[in-house]
Amino acid sequence: MKILLAEDDPSIVYITQTCLEKIGKHQVTVTIDGEKALAQALLENYDLLILDGMMPKKTGLQVATEYRKLAMVKTPIIFLSARNEEKEIEKYYELGGGFIAKPFDPMQICKQIDEIFLRLMKAA
Amino acid sequence: MNLIKFRVLFLYWSALACVIFFGVRGYKSYMTLNHEYEQLAQSANLRSLILELDPKIYSHEMKMQLQELKKSVTTPQRAENLSDLIQAYSNHDTHLTEVRKVIVLYGEKSFYQRALVDIKFWQRQFIFDLLCACLGPIVGFTLLVLLLKSSLFAPLRQLTNRMMDFLVDRYSFQFSQPANNEIGALQRTFSSLAQRVINNMDELKSLDQAKSEFLSIASHELRTPMTSIKGSLSLLASGVAGPIDPSAKKLIEIAETETDRLIRLINDLLDLAKIEARRLPLNLKWEGWREIASKTAEGLSAFAYNAKVQLIFEATVDYELYIDPDRIQQVLTNLISNAVKFSPEGGKIFIKPIETPSQALEIQIQDEGPGIAPEDQELIFQKFRQAANAENPIVKGTGLGLAIAKALVEEHKGTIGVYSKRGRGAMFYFTLPEWKKNSILPIKTNHVTTAPKARVA
Repeated sequence: MKILLAEDDPSIVYITQTCLEKIGKHQVTVTIDGEKALAQALLENYDLLILDGMMPKKTGLQVATEYRKLAMVKTPIIFLSARNEEKEIEKYYELGGGFIAKPFDPMQICKQIDEIFLRLMKAA
Repeated sequence: MNLIKFRVLFLYWSALACVIFFGVRGYKSYMTLNHEYEQLAQSANLRSLILELDPKIYSHEMKMQLQELKKSVTTPQRAENLSDLIQAYSNHDTHLTEVRKVIVLYGEKSFYQRALVDIKFWQRQFIFDLLCACLGPIVGFTLLVLLLKSSLFAPLRQLTNRMMDFLVDRYSFQFSQPANNEIGALQRTFSSLAQRVINNMDELKSLDQAKSEFLSIASHELRTPMTSIKGSLSLLASGVAGPIDPSAKKLIEIAETETDRLIRLINDLLDLAKIEARRLPLNLKWEGWREIASKTAEGLSAFAYNAKVQLIFEATVDYELYIDPDRIQQVLTNLISNAVKFSPEGGKIFIKPIETPSQALEIQIQDEGPGIAPEDQELIFQKFRQAANAENPIVKGTGLGLAIAKALVEEHKGTIGVYSKRGRGAMFYFTLPEWKKNSILPIKTNHVTTAPKARVA
């Protein structure tokens, strides 16, 4: 799968990218803030977007909202968030996204992503 | 100052003055009237005596009567005339007596008529005073009622309406034109009071905002590094990053276990902070006890199996509970996992709902562990407090499980507690105030959950 990962924390980027590439054998592009993530997502076609909830310049929610308005394709989105607030999570689901709470287990993340991806594809 | 008090006092005193003035004058008129009547009677008496007077017959008795009357008449002119008449009569002068008699009779006639006119005047004045004395207070009272209605009751009603509005959070407390009197002062006081309440509420709101912002930032800032640490360790342990020396592997395992514990602690702390900040809205709905029990059992079956403890859910009847199912499940999980931790191998844990006399439904969790000393029973529901002499060395909780359970149960307006005797196990219980029997699904038999496949039916 071709995945866009938007996350500002370099350690999490490294770990997530390692897992996705080494375990899941996915192809990962990384952006480190919301604006770049939106631009990159619109520039190329990805199979999946993984967005951090809290990023500089634009939050994951803003990126997703704008992306849904602008993009032609309905790429599935999975949010990562450390805040774990019900209201926020509800908004993620309203946007038709999946949600993985931080801290997540990197060994499980590929499985989780696959599950959510399948569910979102089914829903779409 | 346009004070209502002054107006009321003015009306009161004018009514009182009116009553006193006309009362006194009326009384005087009444006395005069009586006096006039007496004089009229006297005059009639006098006339009849004089008419009877025959100068040819001298009567000493008649003379005494006349003298008696002379003493009683008040007008000097009449007394003098009468004196002349008595003199003439005493002199036995027939002619003189006749002349005097005519003069006195003439004078008496005009006096009689004047007295009649006077009586009419005093009668009128008496009636007028009487009316005024009665009307004064009536008019005063009517004016008072009108005054109170316009300047007291109407503004009071308005004020009450504003207060009611304020109660239901409509802040229309501004008064167009507070009157310059007591009611106006009351309105102004209420306005400033309301303003202060609103200011305080704004302050509280911003405090609340700051608190939730802090919570939100704290969870983000705490969980982000935990994600990296856990991720790194997990990658190291899995060997994705390269082969690991077996002795290092043990250290990584320890680090992983402790990281997991730290994450649990952070989650519990943030949960508790959320509950305490009332940032955790309860998603209340009717849910069956069986449903909750089976979900909880499912979540705990592996844990119970590893600890070689049997979970036994007992229920003869199913209940519908008005609760937030996720939260109550969390309470149950916390209490049962506690019980599992303290149970000996092969121990049993009984979980059952009981109807109590106090209307609430009580959920009991009975274990066969070492029990809790009485001095610890209050303590364990506090944050970071565990029974000091817990005999089970493998117990490694966050020390927050029971505090969270307590907070959640209290959010449901229930109570939580424990009965225990040292060495005889412990029975934790919590109550839920809103429940009803589920009449559709009576359960006849007890159901036993055995790990690893949880079964509650």
